[in-house]
Amino acid sequence: MSESKFETVSSLVDNYQNSDEVFDEIIKDNHMSETWQRYHLIGDTMRDELPPSLDLDLTDRINNAIAEEPTVLAPKAKPSAGEFVKAKVVQFAKPFGQMAIAASAAGLMVIGVQQNVAKDESFIPDPVVQTAPLGGIAQPVSLNFQSGNRQSQEQAMVEQQRRFQVLLQDHKQQIKFAALATKDAQNNKSKQKDSNTNK
Amino acid sequence: MKFLIWLSALVSLSLPVSAFESEPQKTIPPETADVWLARLSKSLQSLNFSTSFVVVKNNHADPYHWFHGVNEDDGELEILSLLNGPRRDILRKNNVVSYIEPELPPYSIYSKVVSSPIPSILSGDIQDLTESYNFVSVGKSRVLGRSAQIVRIVPKDQHKYGHWLWLDQQSGFLLKLAIVTKKGQQLEQIQFTHLDITEQPAESLRQLDATELPKVIDIPEGYQNQQLSWQVNWLPHGFKQLSANRHRIVSTKQPVEFALFGDGLVDVSVYVMPSKEQQRSADYVLDGATVALNQVVNGLEVSVVGKIPSQTAKQIADSVSLLPR
Repeated sequence: MSESKFETVSSLVDNYQNSDEVFDEIIKDNHMSETWQRYHLIGDTMRDELPPSLDLDLTDRINNAIAEEPTVLAPKAKPSAGEFVKAKVVQFAKPFGQMAIAASAAGLMVIGVQQNVAKDESFIPDPVVQTAPLGGIAQPVSLNFQSGNRQSQEQAMVEQQRRFQVLLQDHKQQIKFAALATKDAQNNKSKQKDSNTNK
Repeated sequence: MKFLIWLSALVSLSLPVSAFESEPQKTIPPETADVWLARLSKSLQSLNFSTSFVVVKNNHADPYHWFHGVNEDDGELEILSLLNGPRRDILRKNNVVSYIEPELPPYSIYSKVVSSPIPSILSGDIQDLTESYNFVSVGKSRVLGRSAQIVRIVPKDQHKYGHWLWLDQQSGFLLKLAIVTKKGQQLEQIQFTHLDITEQPAESLRQLDATELPKVIDIPEGYQNQQLSWQVNWLPHGFKQLSANRHRIVSTKQPVEFALFGDGLVDVSVYVMPSKEQQRSADYVLDGATVALNQVVNGLEVSVVGKIPSQTAKQIADSVSLLPR
């Protein structure tokens, strides 16, 4: 039985037959898909088409990456006046960006996320909606609607979501620009007393 | 006879115990939270380290890699990279900080502060926070395979979040940070996942030292200190105005009047702009500990963003009033 299955795989690899059902079956069966992968590898080896380095777990990794990836509309690359400088810095920055995350980091991320989800439910009584980010590189955030108006809620939500993404992004940007001012403020703090009117 | 046995038993029991108790007190004096935080600040400024951490908020985790070193001229070098998604790198050569981000062409500013998930005050003078926070040393724990000292930065009023820090007992380095509500619920965590402290700065930092950074942008004098047509009448204790300007939001080109407030640990942005609507009740989103709140009152849209409780954000938004012309 299983022998004939492998034969089917083999003939598929060699393009001798072509049926969607068989493909579906192979995709569903882990063992079969492994065989499929292995046969292709053997073929590649014999045809001398192997890449310089082999990464056998690539499919799994890609699958996982796709599953984890939030749907993000990639921001358009902006033509920049500082193109020359950019190339320089990026080229320099590449080696350590490509550094693989340590396995421990990946493990901790999973644990961290799970804990956080469990806690989320207990401490946010409001309904939590995970919304897809609408633009830029924004991250998904949870939306808490206080208003009771349920009618045009969906459209209002989309608009509100966009507004919030923009705000969060601009907030981060302004903190960077204000770093200069922050320093000045810190230098002057001994002279300046709290000028804000507190309640 | 029985009494004697008891007595000797007591003496033999109490002797080693008292000896044990007095010994550690002599060698290691109990360190206060202030001492721990001062050690942290020193270690962040002076150590050569290569480390990774993960920022966990909502059900989202962002991994970062962080290098820091000190070159022969006592200049600090720093690289902070976000490892997922579009490239975001921050490079620092002493007092020049460069940002490489997808939204803008690379630029540099003069600053000694890197705007990262880790509050910059932790490598600065922590005593700046004593006006609005207490420091409490609460105990020991195990983090990143090391024995860690827990120090809490506790707000003096209920309008702010607390920060809990786990510090390496050996080096004083930060191992974990959590932003926590008054009830002890963790909203956001920074967990370090790897830490290498070395004699010499990492190779990539030496490369950075030899690299030319993007051009420093000119921020016109007075730009951060403009007169706005409104004011905030209430802020939590310890908050001061850091910046006030008019700018266009990068992604929408919408003009806003903007003010940034900070208490040294957290920053709060307030945006004011005219709205097409007359009234809209307050809505907010939470991104980890960061709240973004938005409401329209009498045709004026007010937004508040920062790592503060939503009630505080609402109170700040409600206190905005237009200045008489």
